[in-house]
Amino acid sequence: MPKRKDEPGFSRRSFLKTVGASSVAAGVLGKAPAVDAQGANVVGPGPVPIALNVNGRTVRLEIEPRVTLLDALRMRADLTGNKRGCDRGACGACTMIVDGRTVYACSTLAIEVQGKAIRTVEGLSAANAPLHPVQQAFCDKDALMCGFCTPGFIMASVGLLEKHPNPTPEQIKKGLDGNICRCGTFSRVFEAVSSVKGGRRG
Amino acid sequence: MAKDQQPPAGGGRGGAPQQPPVDPKYNWPSTPKTVVGTRVKRLDGPDKVSGRAKYTFDVKRPGMLYGRAVRSPYPRARVLSIDFSDAEKVPGFKASLVVRDPADPKTNVVLFQGDEIAAVAADTEEHAIDAARAVKVQFEPLPAVISVDSAIAGRAPEGVFPNGNVRAGNAQEVGDLAAGFQAAAHTLEQTYSTHVITHVCMEAHGTVCEWEGDKLTAWVSTQGVNSARDNFASGLGIPQANVRVICQYMGGGFGSKLQLGPEGLICAKLAKQAWVPVKLTLDRKEEHLVTGNRPSAAAKIKVGVGADGKITALDAESWGTGGAGANSGFPLPYIYHSTPTDTRRRVHKDVYINTGLQRPMRAPGHPQGSFITEIMMDELADLVKMDPVEFRIKNLPPEGPAAMWASYLREGAQEFGWSKRHPTGDSTAGSIKTGMGVAICTWGGSGRGPSPAHCEIASDGSVTMRLGTQDIGTGQRTLVAMVTADALGLQPSQITPQIGDTQYGVSAGSGGSTTAASTSPGIRIAALKALEALMDKVAPALGVTADALVASGGSIQVKDTPSKRLSWADACKRIGPQPITADAEWQPGMSSVNTSGVQFAEAKVDIKTGIVRVTRVLAYQDCGLVLNQLTAESQVYGGVIGSLNFALYEDRILDRRTGQMVNPNMEWYLLAGMSDIPHIDVRLKNMPERGVVGVGEPPTVPTAAAIALAVRNAIGATVRSLPLTPAKILETLSQKA
Repeated sequence: MPKRKDEPGFSRRSFLKTVGASSVAAGVLGKAPAVDAQGANVVGPGPVPIALNVNGRTVRLEIEPRVTLLDALRMRADLTGNKRGCDRGACGACTMIVDGRTVYACSTLAIEVQGKAIRTVEGLSAANAPLHPVQQAFCDKDALMCGFCTPGFIMASVGLLEKHPNPTPEQIKKGLDGNICRCGTFSRVFEAVSSVKGGRRG
Repeated sequence: MAKDQQPPAGGGRGGAPQQPPVDPKYNWPSTPKTVVGTRVKRLDGPDKVSGRAKYTFDVKRPGMLYGRAVRSPYPRARVLSIDFSDAEKVPGFKASLVVRDPADPKTNVVLFQGDEIAAVAADTEEHAIDAARAVKVQFEPLPAVISVDSAIAGRAPEGVFPNGNVRAGNAQEVGDLAAGFQAAAHTLEQTYSTHVITHVCMEAHGTVCEWEGDKLTAWVSTQGVNSARDNFASGLGIPQANVRVICQYMGGGFGSKLQLGPEGLICAKLAKQAWVPVKLTLDRKEEHLVTGNRPSAAAKIKVGVGADGKITALDAESWGTGGAGANSGFPLPYIYHSTPTDTRRRVHKDVYINTGLQRPMRAPGHPQGSFITEIMMDELADLVKMDPVEFRIKNLPPEGPAAMWASYLREGAQEFGWSKRHPTGDSTAGSIKTGMGVAICTWGGSGRGPSPAHCEIASDGSVTMRLGTQDIGTGQRTLVAMVTADALGLQPSQITPQIGDTQYGVSAGSGGSTTAASTSPGIRIAALKALEALMDKVAPALGVTADALVASGGSIQVKDTPSKRLSWADACKRIGPQPITADAEWQPGMSSVNTSGVQFAEAKVDIKTGIVRVTRVLAYQDCGLVLNQLTAESQVYGGVIGSLNFALYEDRILDRRTGQMVNPNMEWYLLAGMSDIPHIDVRLKNMPERGVVGVGEPPTVPTAAAIALAVRNAIGATVRSLPLTPAKILETLSQKA
């Protein structure tokens, strides 16, 4: 299973307890294209063809099974919006939404999310189209400085608001606890997310 | 005022030489104009929130390879041999580089974990990591200095650093110490200390290097495109003219990206060897190990205070480590001084240990000096039974435009509800104890020249402001547009700021909170000079001379007859095929130096678990003329949160035996998340008459001390070292009991 960030009681710290074990499980159990239902689940280590549904489009890649969802999209599909901060599920800069749930794309293998609906920050608004209300709120409230963690915060916020359209302050805090900003934008991220409560969220 | 610390030029508190003021017609207007001082959203906000902003980490060039360094696992070792034969067999391997020649006795010893030894490049990042792992390095591990305490005590191995493990500076002594202590009613002797933290930039240090013949184009995550160009040129032995450095967006530096690190030159050399572009970005572990840190600080202090609450003398021995050969200075005492005469003595020792070297980190030295001084201040206030705010006011330098602490302390105490603060130790029942603390800060943040700017106004009405500065997340790109628009009577969105590229000109690195103060004067003057040229062209059409015209509200109009006007677009149609151009440099008089700030904090401590929750912070901060109220406030929020991390969470922890960092990641190297953030109120004090002063660094100075003092006020015991971990608080409470 991809690492869900929005399970009840989830936090960056509780996540740590499980990441090591489940990464291994993901590598072994993830569905791969070459796998026969009866046969051994062995693919790789060389490149294998995969197809990903990203922002409603099919992205076909040849990648080694060890490649993460984040690296597959960033380095092979030019979807560089989501970032890599820690590469081990602690900072949240890589946050994407997979089948409606926020995941750490740096700790999710690309090969295991085939057939799932993957959303990256690029999928929220087309070039020259109006920004998604969450993106607009981040701009309005200056909820970004260097901006490197911002796409991850935005995806976490979108995931939160799609689940809880009118979140309480506590829900906002818990919902964004899996993301780290080093410039210190938290106060304004909180303001931004609070300001889109109940609004249209595309 | 301690001046023994030399922060980056223009950075730390200090005076700029007196210079004649700028021509009044170019100076900031006495009445606020339409743009400067307002809340303007970042122009690049939409690019950042949509993922369209391309950071160095996002740059991909045709045929690009990925580089990876081979690093030392040991804190000190001699490299005996480097064998690439297995690495060369890794699929996708393309190039290798020896950084430390085993045959060269001058360079074959690594001095810290993570020190560069070799490097490889391969077709994918995964293959580059495989290849780097496959490089076989033979080491002879050597004795290393790991513990500061052991080094100070003379128990650490000798012969590690050429001039010994401890380098004592000259004693600095002012006034008659014996007389000062004689005048004291109370004497306090204590030791205080702060820890090493790392910068943890969200975007790792990294470079993409591409050669075309003997010319290098480098995308660098840097705080200074021009300093990076200089570093490439000198490091590679090529002319600066052959190097172009680009940094449109960068993901945080905090001082660690002022200079190009070794990885930059390694990347350029790999690219030259492979003859295709190479990208080399560090991973999180490398970031912690090799890209700088804030030095530790400690001080054993003897201080005397009179019955009237005035400090009479201070005698301090201080030390700290900046790693394998770097200094660790910090100001002490911080801001406060003794009376009637400044009476103090200080000896500082730099302690060298085998870890990565320090680099400037957001207000270098000040957070350490602040913590050590401010904790001492509250201990002294208790000795003389004075309120900490009043005690501070008694020991401040005289008030002035750059020294506003007394006013801010009084005003802030009122706003924060300081009168409700109980004496040291919350005596209410239950395990959750509440307390308040206060601390102050200062920083230089002066402007400096030449910082040239180039303005173009074209016949289509477009305005370009071009300069070789960069936006490190502060909002500098937006300031460039704001200052230009303000001068021309336009809106920031009508301006095209061109920055982040050495082709746009020469400008200083963004360090010491000097960027806004250095660049804004040149920008304003260049815009006004271009406007003068435009007015010369349009004056005949309006039947007046150029000096009768003003630019306002998107038009050029006659001063006393605003109905006689040309819209900006119509005015610019008279320019002709060649745009108007104007150049200007920084001028004295439009920027200033030195800021003051005061912060109050309230914290709750669970004395059963030792867990601290900061509930409120109130930050008063001035920075001269506020250019963008919105982004200036963001700097203060960010500074407070950075200092909260310093106080409670982050800590570089070394294994005492191996000298290796045990938490080189982002889960055990703790940083605050959303639930850890207190309610923060920011009060920016605008002083337009002072001109621009930088604000990036001062707000990150006092929060840690204010939090530590709130904890002290809550629990009735003093934790004299950072970070305030639950274990340390419980230990302090058990010693008290």
